[in-house]
Amino acid sequence: MPDVTGDARIRLPDRIVRGEQILVSAIISHPMDTGFFRTRDGDPIPAYFINEVTIVYGDQQVARFEWTSGISRDPLVTFSLKADREAPLTLTWKDNKGGVYRQSADIAFTTT
Amino acid sequence: MSPGSPQSRRSFVARSAGFLAALLLGRDVLTPGGRLLAIGPDDPPAIPNDIVAKALKDRFGDRQIRTGHVQLDMPAAAEDGRVVPVIIESDLPMTADEYVKGVHLFVDHNPDVHVAGFYLTPAIGRLSISTRIKMKRSTWVRAIVETTRGEVWAGYTRVNVTLNGCG
Repeated sequence: MPDVTGDARIRLPDRIVRGEQILVSAIISHPMDTGFFRTRDGDPIPAYFINEVTIVYGDQQVARFEWTSGISRDPLVTFSLKADREAPLTLTWKDNKGGVYRQSADIAFTTT
Repeated sequence: MSPGSPQSRRSFVARSAGFLAALLLGRDVLTPGGRLLAIGPDDPPAIPNDIVAKALKDRFGDRQIRTGHVQLDMPAAAEDGRVVPVIIESDLPMTADEYVKGVHLFVDHNPDVHVAGFYLTPAIGRLSISTRIKMKRSTWVRAIVETTRGEVWAGYTRVNVTLNGCG
């Protein structure tokens, strides 16, 4: 897993056939601090978490996720998608401190 | 077969394990006496407090939350409440005319009961979403979906948590 907050990866199947349903996995490095914990010295650790993820396929927004700090550290999400055209898939993660992180992967069909 | 023989011990262990698993998973279970213990998940788990009641009402109003069409897969026992895997699947239509527009995950005794909302379009196809969540303590988890026709369907799983994952 990447160490720097906001480092993100998208994983697609190795082979994609036009029109088939695929699973897309995406992971981003983020502490997802709840705000309920304290440091060893007793200082509160403020809430710091991804609160929105948007998924754009080509020019179409296909999904949007609203998250809380109840999602685990280094959020991993896997979702289904109908791969019906060759186009980039772009995920944008936003956090509650204004951080914006983006990662893309190209959906391309296997030629046989 | 005499009591205490390996055979009967094994079948007793198997029966007990099945019963325990059924209790943990919240499945209906047939006791050796043939009595059915109805312990869900066909019946939704009871609403434990006003916070959960309000979270559900805020999201779904007075609409009936029916059990079915939603499969919520989670471990029956999660040692580390900081990282509990969740898989949500549904056989509901995902067509332009009718689709699941929202998937909502609620954990009854978490500080934030409404852990996540996933807003979808038909481009998602047959619905499958998985992620990892934090859980404070052993409780029911509710995956509740809302269709474009206003129907609300739910799946439930009880998860036993060893280590508090919420602080």
